[in-house]
Amino acid sequence: MIGRLLTALNLFLLTSILLVVLVVSSLYLGLNQDLPQLPQNLQHINLSLPTEIYSSDGERIKILGERHPIALEDISHFFTKAIIGVEDSRFYRHSGIDHRGLVRALWTNFRQKRIAQGGSTITQQLSKNLFFSFERNWVRKIKELLIAFQLEATFNKEQILEAYCNQIYFGSGAYGVEEAAQIYFGKRAKDLTLLQAALLAGLPNSPNNANPFSHYERAMQRTNYVLGRMVSENLISVDEKQSAQQSDLDLINPRVESNPNLYFVDQVLEQIERSYGKEFVHFGGLKIFTTLDTRYQNFAFKSARNHLEDLEGKVVKELSDGPLQAALVAVENKSGAVRAMLGGKDYSHSQFNRSVSNNRMPGSSFKPFVYFTAMKELGYSPSSVVVDEPLTIPISGSEPWSPQNFDKEFAGNIVLKKALMKSINIISAKLINEVGIEKVIRTARQFGIKSVLGRNPSLALGTSGLSPYEVASAYSVIANLGIYNEPYLIQHIEDFQGNRLYENYYHGVQQFLPESLYPLLNMMQGVVERGTGRIVRRMGFLHPAGGKTGTTNDFKDAWFNGFTKDISTSVWVGFDNNKPMKEKSGKGLTGASAAAPIWVYFMQKVLEGKNPVKFPVPDKIKFATVDVQTGYFPDEFSVSTIQVAVKEDVDLSAPPVLSEEQELNETDLLSEPANTRHIKP
Amino acid sequence: MKFTGVRKLWHGVASLIVLSAFLSLEFYTNLFEKSVGYYLKWQNHKRPQLGRMWEQDRQSLVAQAKIKSIRSSLDLQEEATLGIPSFKHLFEDISPGFPLVVSREKFLQLYYDFPGQWSERIISSYDLIDLDSRKIWDRVLIKRFGPWITLQFIDRQNIPIHELFISVDTLFEVQATRTVKRGTLEESNFIANRIFPISEFLPILKSLDRATQKAVFPQPRWFLGKNYHVTRVGISDFPAGKLSQHLLFGVEYDTDYYTGVLLVPVAMELANNIMSQIEKADLAELNSDEVLSALGESP
Repeated sequence: MIGRLLTALNLFLLTSILLVVLVVSSLYLGLNQDLPQLPQNLQHINLSLPTEIYSSDGERIKILGERHPIALEDISHFFTKAIIGVEDSRFYRHSGIDHRGLVRALWTNFRQKRIAQGGSTITQQLSKNLFFSFERNWVRKIKELLIAFQLEATFNKEQILEAYCNQIYFGSGAYGVEEAAQIYFGKRAKDLTLLQAALLAGLPNSPNNANPFSHYERAMQRTNYVLGRMVSENLISVDEKQSAQQSDLDLINPRVESNPNLYFVDQVLEQIERSYGKEFVHFGGLKIFTTLDTRYQNFAFKSARNHLEDLEGKVVKELSDGPLQAALVAVENKSGAVRAMLGGKDYSHSQFNRSVSNNRMPGSSFKPFVYFTAMKELGYSPSSVVVDEPLTIPISGSEPWSPQNFDKEFAGNIVLKKALMKSINIISAKLINEVGIEKVIRTARQFGIKSVLGRNPSLALGTSGLSPYEVASAYSVIANLGIYNEPYLIQHIEDFQGNRLYENYYHGVQQFLPESLYPLLNMMQGVVERGTGRIVRRMGFLHPAGGKTGTTNDFKDAWFNGFTKDISTSVWVGFDNNKPMKEKSGKGLTGASAAAPIWVYFMQKVLEGKNPVKFPVPDKIKFATVDVQTGYFPDEFSVSTIQVAVKEDVDLSAPPVLSEEQELNETDLLSEPANTRHIKP
Repeated sequence: MKFTGVRKLWHGVASLIVLSAFLSLEFYTNLFEKSVGYYLKWQNHKRPQLGRMWEQDRQSLVAQAKIKSIRSSLDLQEEATLGIPSFKHLFEDISPGFPLVVSREKFLQLYYDFPGQWSERIISSYDLIDLDSRKIWDRVLIKRFGPWITLQFIDRQNIPIHELFISVDTLFEVQATRTVKRGTLEESNFIANRIFPISEFLPILKSLDRATQKAVFPQPRWFLGKNYHVTRVGISDFPAGKLSQHLLFGVEYDTDYYTGVLLVPVAMELANNIMSQIEKADLAELNSDEVLSALGESP
């Protein structure tokens, strides 16, 4: 009987051993080509250099692929004890697999009829982290196990533990214990206290569920569990545990990625990735020097935040509308360098960059390009008189278009400068109708506008979407008196040895003659002095400046775009879902009320302490005061006058008074000033 | 029979002991895992570089390859720039859409290496001193747009500190067409009876007014500074390329390694004038020889 029992037992054991050997051999043969090669040195895994991005004022604004690999000696012994205690208490005794742990995990899983316990050793976890995907399947598990055996056979325990501590994920974007110690406690890994070490050691198992920033209670439960494990494994005494539990955790505030520089950084990365590929940026160990001025960016962020908070209290909105958003781009005129780029109210809330990707209708902000085309192509000047009257433009294959003025009133005869200052829609529509849509589009392209522009008369009122980025750049051509500088974000790129790999050179192109552009610049100064943008002066902005407001139908978009001699800035305000911005009283938010204040706050800060710089007046330009209704030098009948800047050859004298006989013959002509432009709809 | 049963039992026990010993060995020494681990280690080099870690490594290699390629391309550009032989070539090598960047040192070297005053007409040396006094001039960016060439004197951040425009026509000015060639005057198609020793030419050069001197001959420093030993001069009997109203004045010099010729286009009337003066001097010399001979003082 005993003999038979022994034989059976022997047979079972022998069969089991042979079975294990057979299974492992078969698996090896089957998976041999899928098993990865191991590196010569585990430190090799941390060799990739980070890419650093710098602002023009010398700030390091972003580091990509930053890792902080440290030696085991630089890690608090509390942490190494805690991680061993909770993750793999037999770490120093096994060779890749913990028999007891495995049997315990199998038994627990069998009892609970689900995978409740992993039973993976630290070596297995390292194997998974280095080489394998995170999907749970048996084949992956076996490969992971085989590689764990090889890791154990190749490296000593200290090397494995060090690599593990530098690789493992601790939640909140922290890879490695050093980075985790910095993110959660703002200190080095070697300075962690027992309580802090226990908390961190509890994270790799559930980096999100036990994250102390979002689930503090759960994190503390897990910490207590870790401390308990340490006591039961004789890694610490009960007294030490109790003392740790009574100590302060000193958790710091979470590092929120609300840095407004990140809109700019994203754009820089996108540009480089597009030109050189993702690997170049993320694994190149580059130093990217950008045009961003962090002071300007900070001003932009604060200006937008403060004014938006003010507007949020006034505007009617629903929860689904989301917050009121703003975008701002500031371009240095002389070079095209983008000094500030704000893509939204709060980067942590929304990473969508509205300053480059959000083409919203610019409204009247587009009118300067229409006026300039008319002056260039039709010989108009700021003193040319046009008639503001009801207008209907026939459109082939569609209903005729009847543009309306913002205030639903008509000004009658009016000089171009005044029309732009008052942002009269009818005049803009008349001008595009006369000069032709194609010519306006061509002019806009010369100003650097690249977005698709609709070939219809309503383009005159800014119905084709533009980004603040291109509007700021286009307006800088006006400030530059015709020189177009391609806007750019990257000054130069260096490799880790300091060799320059890319450099930006200025490509200033004189698109228009200064004497052609100056009249427009002067008209836009008028907008700021006494036109729709006069809020700029009312708010106390004293530097010489020009600009233009923009408000679209139903107050969906509010723009203010303006420039000084040195810098051009475009500001947009609106809802992401295109909802009208209306106050409780029913009054809509305009470019002047919603966007211009942000522009003023920003520009005031940027120009603080700087002397006002006047725009240079080109040769062949003369200044004159003319009658607003006739466009000629004022006479005793003039009701309203305006100062204009026109080319020297523009005659501003009224035609000579005709004799009675002539008067009778030419009555029709005299019914309007000779300077009046008869624009046929 | 009983003895056979005991023997079987004994065998069973022995087998159990062996198997238990084997299991204990595995349990305490991890024999199995170690065997597999060492076998895999032995086979390591045969396996592919797969997985997340190697993927990162590969991406890093791709990035480094890209950096290397950019650097070698930039190095080539720099070498090409360093190899520009003359101030004139500097402008002639510019293609529209492909700006050229030269270091301050190279620009100055080419500027002062030009045998004549043409470089001064592009930018005066006093203006260069003015630019240099700001201590930020780092490089010169040269671009071509249609008939215009732009010179931007830029700082380390590529911000222009001075900009000037020159017309492409400037490259075809008489002063600009001075060239240097290897070889002798004869190899440059000068004929023997229009080639003269420098000693014969110098008295005539000294007798010319300053403007004409400059038009014919570069600053002597150009030769002396380079250790060029001027030996002969020549006047061509063919027009100077596109300049049909000009002849070539050639200055031959020896260096330690080769013989070279500086070709200077000069106005036809000036060339003829020099030619006649040289011939007159030859004639005078010849006459004085004849007089001396008549006096019986000839050896």
